[in-house]
Amino acid sequence: METKGLLTLEDVGREDIREILDLARAFAKGRVRDALEGKTVCLAFFEASTRTAVSFELAARRSGAHVISLSEKGSAIAKGESLVDTVVTLDRLGADAIVLRHQAAGAAALAARHTSAPVINAGDGCGQHPTQALLDLYALCEALGGFEGLQNRRVAIIGDVLHSRVARSVIPAFLQAGMEVALVAPRTLLPPDEGALDLTVLTSVDEALEWGADVLYMLRLQKERMTGARIPSVAEYSRFYGVSRRHLDSGALVMHPGPVNRGVEISGDVVLDASSLIPDQVAAGVCVRSAVLALTTGAAQSVAA
Amino acid sequence: MLRNGYPAELVVRQANVLDPATGLDGPMDVRLSSGRIAEVGEGLRGPRVLDADGLHLFPGFVDVHAHWRTPGREDEEDIESGSAAAAAGGFTGVVMMPNTDPIVDRPVVVSGLVRRVERESRVRARVSAALHVGLAGERLTEMRLLQQAGAFCVSDDGLGTASAGVLRNGMLYARSARLPVILHCEDHTLATGVVHDGVAASLAGIPGSPASAEDAATATALVLAAETGARVHITHVSTALSAALVGFFRDRADVTADTTPHHLTLTEELVSTLDGLYRVNPPLRPEYDRAGLGMALRDRVLDFVATDHAPHASEEKELPIEEAAPGFLGHETAFAALYTDLILGGKLSLMRLVETMSCAPGRWVGTGGSLAVGAPADLTLVDLSEEWTVGSATLVSRSSNSPYLGRTLKGRVVGTIVGGEPVHDRTGARFGARA
Repeated sequence: METKGLLTLEDVGREDIREILDLARAFAKGRVRDALEGKTVCLAFFEASTRTAVSFELAARRSGAHVISLSEKGSAIAKGESLVDTVVTLDRLGADAIVLRHQAAGAAALAARHTSAPVINAGDGCGQHPTQALLDLYALCEALGGFEGLQNRRVAIIGDVLHSRVARSVIPAFLQAGMEVALVAPRTLLPPDEGALDLTVLTSVDEALEWGADVLYMLRLQKERMTGARIPSVAEYSRFYGVSRRHLDSGALVMHPGPVNRGVEISGDVVLDASSLIPDQVAAGVCVRSAVLALTTGAAQSVAA
Repeated sequence: MLRNGYPAELVVRQANVLDPATGLDGPMDVRLSSGRIAEVGEGLRGPRVLDADGLHLFPGFVDVHAHWRTPGREDEEDIESGSAAAAAGGFTGVVMMPNTDPIVDRPVVVSGLVRRVERESRVRARVSAALHVGLAGERLTEMRLLQQAGAFCVSDDGLGTASAGVLRNGMLYARSARLPVILHCEDHTLATGVVHDGVAASLAGIPGSPASAEDAATATALVLAAETGARVHITHVSTALSAALVGFFRDRADVTADTTPHHLTLTEELVSTLDGLYRVNPPLRPEYDRAGLGMALRDRVLDFVATDHAPHASEEKELPIEEAAPGFLGHETAFAALYTDLILGGKLSLMRLVETMSCAPGRWVGTGGSLAVGAPADLTLVDLSEEWTVGSATLVSRSSNSPYLGRTLKGRVVGTIVGGEPVHDRTGARFGARA
């Protein structure tokens, strides 16, 4: 895999994705140890995060890396230092990889233009969240019998596509895996359909199941979308765009990048149901991120050698 | 639908049948059976016959813009009186606007209205729900649930939508809910007066609202309709410029538009009477606009006529213009006013008038507007020779705020049939005569 960092999945091909997932599986089985020994991984989180930050930190530490963690509290970020200045500083201090979370789309690409260390995008605004999409693919492969098992499967991406960085990463990831993708959302939460996304648009979870969805990929509805401007009410939203127990009879798998709004996009009794891959998604985060760190820092070559 | 004890089968004999949808034009018989048009031809027989020799028979008129004041102001109109007025005007189908009290913005209000319509309405009445909660132009209504409760469309009628951003989201959401949107185009930062801001208002010293209040809002709505792909209907177009804007967007958006009988026949000159009766929104315009609307209707730039039937109690109209409530009765005078002024005035063909009162709005609501065999038996019978003077005693509506009060009009609806059943009958002994 010839790449400096991981900013987006839009230009990552099918074989590269397969390579990442294979390496992640090696990490998960314990076949690769201490791959990042002697490396320094910097976590620069300009925006709050729980699972992504913890997952990256574990991924780096378990593989033997030194971890330097900057959060928006208690660092130069809190003092208002600019994104570029922060990452340049980390770069000059000798970081081997910079993991960046930022509130603005394009932040990771901007950072990458100013550093020699690879930048791994851990979520930038409404832009991209590539490691989320990779861990989703990983969890799905485990459930459906490997990467080839995803071919021609149907996945419905349900909810606020317009404001979702997860959607912008999982759509190209699912398409590269050979899956058919439909979007399920009111038009107020979709990009204009004449745009880049030339996908089937459906208007309810029921319609998604009629379409033959094997996977219901639920997106989080942000609190600030619940004011009535784009959706009228949580009651109507959950009635048409929420998954509840009655939808599980179809055998469809349920996924969600977290954190879940129980009772909004997903009813409480579905979250930990057997049909739910949500815990598997979280579990997949560590090995997938270890693999991404190993590949972007060049450590994977020495592992393979 | 009211059951009047009429037979399920009826032959309307020797009416001058005029139906732009099928091209029928001439004296013939029409047989109705089981609520549908069963047969059109010569010498038809049946157990009951209506001798319609000398009368004209059209597909039933459809009015997509009516205020029946239920719930909340049943002293002015209710479903029974409003539908009786509609039937008296030849309307077999109506869309009820949501600016009632309470406003039709919740599913329970819609389902209640739908049930009452089934019991109380003489004609087919559809419920428009509000586009925004409280028609306040902020929060979207639960359009998916409103649709399931029986709403036919959503509208901001009466107020308009203040913000283009809010309107855009409303259109996008309505498209997902598969509901058409009826828009009242009015920019409140411009519409600060009570009548058209023209010569009559200037001379009378009455605060005017410029035509731009409508034109700017219409342009905004059309641009957003084109961008969102929503099915949008612009109601009560009252200026020549707004009509031209609709024409420009005809092939660029899923858009239709109507104008009203009063904007096609009356002008701002009535403001000089200082009579609160003549206040209406959008206001009566100059002759230039009145004439332009007629041409736009003739040239298919505008799709159809809708009355904006808006009953008001006398205490709301017998006031100075500035204090009077805006709105006119519309159902009962629509055909006669248009026939008298436009058809007899040589401005429009009778065929086109029927197309704009029956076929096009019928297509828009999805029922009626055609005398094709198998279509619902919704018919309007008119005596084109009858002259009548509009007076509060001649009006069926519970209110009497007609701008044509005291005027003598030519052409009168004498019979209205909905689903094969007469719901308005001024034909004397002719209905129900044995063959």
